[in-house]
Amino acid sequence: METITHNKYTVKEIRDLTPSTYVVRLERNDMKFMPGQNLNLGLSGDTEKRDYSIYSRKNEEFLEILVKEVEDGLVSKKLKRMKPGDTLEVDGPFGFFTIKEENRYAKKFLFIASGTGIAPFHSITGSFPEINYTLIHGIRELNEAYEKEHYPEGKYISCVSQEDGGDFRGRVTDYIKQHPVDNETICYLCGNVNMIYDVFDILKEQGVPSENLHAEVYF
Amino acid sequence: MNLSDTGRTKPVIEGMGYQWTDNEDEAQLLGILACSVRQKAIDKVYNRIHKWNRAKNKKNLLTFVTGCILPADREKFLKLFDIVFPMSELQELPDMIRQNGIVTPVSLNPENRNEELVFRNERIEQLKRSAASLKLNEHMSDFWQINPAYESDFEAFVPIQNGCDKFCTFCAVPYTRGREVSRPSAEILEELKNLVEQDYKSITLLGQNVNSYGLDKKGEEVSFPELLRQIGEYGKISGKEFWVYFTSPHPRDMTDQVIEVIAQYDCLAKQIHLPVQSGDDKVLIRMNRKHNMEKYRHIVHTIRKLIPQATLFTDIIVGFTGETDEQFASTRRIMEEFKYNMAYIAQYSVRPGATSSRWDDDVPKEVKKQRYHTLTEDLMKTSHEHNKKMVGKTFRVLVRGKERKGEFLSGLTEGKINVRIPSLDTNMIGQIVDVKITQATEFSVAGELVKQPELQSA
Repeated sequence: METITHNKYTVKEIRDLTPSTYVVRLERNDMKFMPGQNLNLGLSGDTEKRDYSIYSRKNEEFLEILVKEVEDGLVSKKLKRMKPGDTLEVDGPFGFFTIKEENRYAKKFLFIASGTGIAPFHSITGSFPEINYTLIHGIRELNEAYEKEHYPEGKYISCVSQEDGGDFRGRVTDYIKQHPVDNETICYLCGNVNMIYDVFDILKEQGVPSENLHAEVYF
Repeated sequence: MNLSDTGRTKPVIEGMGYQWTDNEDEAQLLGILACSVRQKAIDKVYNRIHKWNRAKNKKNLLTFVTGCILPADREKFLKLFDIVFPMSELQELPDMIRQNGIVTPVSLNPENRNEELVFRNERIEQLKRSAASLKLNEHMSDFWQINPAYESDFEAFVPIQNGCDKFCTFCAVPYTRGREVSRPSAEILEELKNLVEQDYKSITLLGQNVNSYGLDKKGEEVSFPELLRQIGEYGKISGKEFWVYFTSPHPRDMTDQVIEVIAQYDCLAKQIHLPVQSGDDKVLIRMNRKHNMEKYRHIVHTIRKLIPQATLFTDIIVGFTGETDEQFASTRRIMEEFKYNMAYIAQYSVRPGATSSRWDDDVPKEVKKQRYHTLTEDLMKTSHEHNKKMVGKTFRVLVRGKERKGEFLSGLTEGKINVRIPSLDTNMIGQIVDVKITQATEFSVAGELVKQPELQSA
C-alpha cells in the first residue's frame, strides 16, 4: 500500500515589506516551476487554502510568495503569524501566466501590475533578466514599491496615486494613456480586476491585439 | 463523471458479497457518491447522514462517503460517516470495511480471513489523513483498473483523465477532485475495444479537461490527438459501427490536431462540445478561463472548415459576478455568430469552495433569469434552423429507448440531435438505424425508418 505523502513545506523566513505586506520564504523541496506560476497553500491541517504567485526566481534554493494581509482574510492573517520552522501545505505549481520560450528574447514585454500583482513579474524578470521589458506598478503609497531596487534602472516605473515622489503621479491607466503601447508589445496584466478591465480597454483602443494580452486576476 | 464513478463502485461492493437493494431501510451498508457542484446536493448528504446515524440506534449499519467533496465538508464528514475516502482509493473499500470490524460475505472465505476483524487504528488514521489531503488522485491508477458495471448495454462512459488544473473561478473541481491525472492509454484502448467487441455503439471518453489528456505525464504518455488517432485506427479495422465522443474539452487545449484527427476517422463522432462560458473577453478573464474569443473563434472556424457536418454544442453561464448588460450582449453576439446546435445555459449560482464564492453574487436573480430566457430564445432560433435543414435527409440514428408518451422510440444522431421515430419495436433499442427526417422543432427532429435493420434476437 502506498504511503500518503503531504506537500509539507517548512517556513524559513518571514520578511516584512510594509506593516501589512510581507514575503514568506519556504524551503524549495525541489519544486520545479515556470516563473509566473502560482501555488495553492494554507496552514497544515487547515481546509482554507489560497492561491499565491511565486515571487522568487527560478534558480533560487527557496520559494517565496508575496502576501498582503487582507482584512477578515482567512489565510493571509494566519500566514503573518507563521514562524521559521512552521509548516505549510503547498500544492502546485499551477497556471499558464508564463512567457513562451520562443518569445522570451524575441519580443518586447510590458508588465502591468497593481499592488502585490507584481509578484509574478518579480519572478519572471529575476529569472530572465535579459528579456526586453518595462514594468509598470500601480500603488497608492511609495512604500508599496516592493523591493524596487531589484529591477535595473529604467525598467521599473511606479505609478503612485496618493503620494508624490514616485516615477509617475497617478494611476497606471493614466500612465498608459499618456504613453501609448505599440501593438507588437506583449502585455501581461496582473492585479485587481478593475485595473485589469480598465487597462484591457485602453490597450485594445490603442490597437494591441487580444493575442498579445495576458491577464491574471488577483481577488 | 458520477455515472462513470458509480459504474466502478458497484462491482467493488458486489465483490464483497453485498447485494444491492432499493430499500434503504433493509441496507447494511449505505454510501454516497457526493457532488459539490451545487450546495443543494451537499445539503442532501448532511440530511441523509443524520437520518442514517439515527437509524444506527436500531440496527447495525456502516456508512461511507466519497466523490467530489470540498476540504471543509470532508472534515465534517469524517465525524459523521464511518468511512470517508477519495474516489481514487475505491479499490481499498473492502479493506476499510474490514477495519471497521465488519464481516463481509466474501471475507468469510478462509483465504481472506487472516486480517479479519483486526481493527488497526493506524490504518484508520492514515485513511483519515488521506481523506483530508489535497492529493486526491494519488491512487487513480488503482481506481481505473476496476472493471466497471455499465448502466447500458450500448452506451458507455470511459474515464480517461481525472482532476483539473485550470482553476476556473466559478468551479470547485480542482479542490474536490485534485490535479489532472491521465489514465494509461493502453488501459483506455483495452476498455474501449472490449466495449466495441460487445457491440457498444456510443462510447464517451470522460474527463474534467479531456483534451489536456497526457499533459501531466510530460512526454511519457501519448497526447490527446494521438489517443484519438489510435482509437480511429482501431475503428477502421474493427468492422463495427460505433461513435466515440469526448467531454468536456477546454478551448485552451483544443488544438488543430484534435480537429484534424476527428475529421479523419469515421468512428470519431462529428459532434463537438466546446464550452465557451461567456462571449466577452473581460468576463473570461474574471472566470480565469485562459482562452479569449479570438482563440475560440479560431477553433470554431477550423471545425467548420475541416468538419462542416459537425454539430457544435457549448456551455454558457449567464449572470456571472460582475457581468454587465454590455458583456451579456457580447455573449448574445457569439450565439448568433457560432450558431450552436445546442447550448447548456446556466444561471450563475455560487459553487461553495470555488474562488468566486468569496465574491458578491451581484447580478440580481431576475436579471439572470431574463438573460437565461433571452439566450435560450436566441439558441432556439439557431438550433431550429439547423434542424430544419435536416428535413428530407436520411441520418444514422442510435435508438436509445421508448418515449414515455405515445407510440414512439427516441434516439440520437451521430451529432447528438434528438430524433423521434414512430415505432414500438423495442428490439431496435441499442441499434443504429437509418431514419429519414420529416419534421423539425427547436430541440428535436422526427422521422421515418428507412428500412428495418437486421435485428438481433432480444
